Amino acid sequence: MVAVSVRFLTWVVVASLCTGCVVVKAHERGNLAKRSMTNDRASGEARFNQHERGSREGADGGTGQPGGGCGCN
Amino acid sequence: MRLQLASVLVALCVVTPGRAGADGTLSARGVYYKERATRVMQPMLDGMFDVGSRGVATAHFLVDAITSASASSGAENAEPFTENRYEGGFGYTHELGSVITEHIEGLRVGGEAKYSKESDYTSVYVGARTEVDLAEKNTTLGLGVGLSRDEISAASAQGPSMPTLECSPGQSFTACSLTVKALFASGSQILSKNAVLGVTYDVSKSDGYQSNPYRMALAEDGIAPERHPTTRTRTAVAGSLRYYIPRSQTTLIGSYRFYRDNWRVFAHTPEVRIYQQVGRVADATVRYRYYVQDRAFFYRDRYTTIDRGTNPFLSDDAKLDDYSTHTFEAKLGILGEAFGAGGHWSGARFEGILSYVAQGNRFGNAIIAHVALTVPFDY
Repeated sequence: MVAVSVRFLTWVVVASLCTGCVVVKAHERGNLAKRSMTNDRASGEARFNQHERGSREGADGGTGQPGGGCGCN
Repeated sequence: MRLQLASVLVALCVVTPGRAGADGTLSARGVYYKERATRVMQPMLDGMFDVGSRGVATAHFLVDAITSASASSGAENAEPFTENRYEGGFGYTHELGSVITEHIEGLRVGGEAKYSKESDYTSVYVGARTEVDLAEKNTTLGLGVGLSRDEISAASAQGPSMPTLECSPGQSFTACSLTVKALFASGSQILSKNAVLGVTYDVSKSDGYQSNPYRMALAEDGIAPERHPTTRTRTAVAGSLRYYIPRSQTTLIGSYRFYRDNWRVFAHTPEVRIYQQVGRVADATVRYRYYVQDRAFFYRDRYTTIDRGTNPFLSDDAKLDDYSTHTFEAKLGILGEAFGAGGHWSGARFEGILSYVAQGNRFGNAIIAHVALTVPFDY
């Protein structure tokens, strides 16, 4: 599993570096401004999902929002 | 619960505002969660407000009404009971400048805080973050920190007296603490006129009581309260790709998250979403998420002995076992305009979500339903 994650991380970093030279001008970003391309989840939906996973999944620590109670740790 | 729901709806109706110079949104959401031994109803209220020309403030309040017959919630002899959790929070983000230097075209700083309270668990969280725009705003990098402090007791135990908890080996008190420090980084990169890549990295360290105050671990020579390690370091890396197809107004969203910690829990979470715009006034999304994790190094279905020398750690926490889940979800969003509403209500958004979670552990399968209404307003 570790090997898989390292390969994935490497791929992501390489992909990011390769695209650094692509510049999309402001007037070309109409599609990028759409709800589906920015954040299609409301804050309440995202917060509930995070809390529910924190109660039911062991891997709940990567979201940067620890705590929140519920007593079902 | 009915009173709380009514209050949320009244608040939403009151804020239907006239003319002024700033914008905001107010959102009311109700969530229903049901699995084999637990049922949750969660009404919540979210607000977002412009503050001047460069600030955005957010606030939320929610109530978690949990009805459970699970021993891990404090139920005794599988007798269901209901308990409420209250949470409130606020945040503020400020745009420091639209053009700072030739290379830095935007800089934002922000902070947030939240407080959660229930009979046996109190949590306080504060966080700060900063974001910078680069390369003509084609690249955005973010960095944040968070700190939470929790207090845990067994106040919901349905016995004659409140049991003490072993906060650390050999030290028992009626309440224990847990401190979590987190660091999170993010980056997004525009790849083309129709594609965006996002990456996040998170690390957190938890120090303190991390067992469940009610659960007992089963061994061949008896049962004993859970004894989890008191430190846990978690890391997670995630990537997502969004691609918009103009011809059909379809957006494809794929993501993958890898998680590991020093309890030797490894998890993989791939997810795909298809978002379809339907005319100007509606959108529909379907989602599939797969989650799989390994077992923590000290977790056993049944221990040989509760002796501390042989087994320093004991657990009956199903989410530390190896298992997988499949989540299927459908979501529909409709603007008020579709119902002929005028004024501010034409931009109001109604949302409904239905999820089915197939869980390969003793929690059993779950159903989750959301209903939400978001109303824009001026002030």
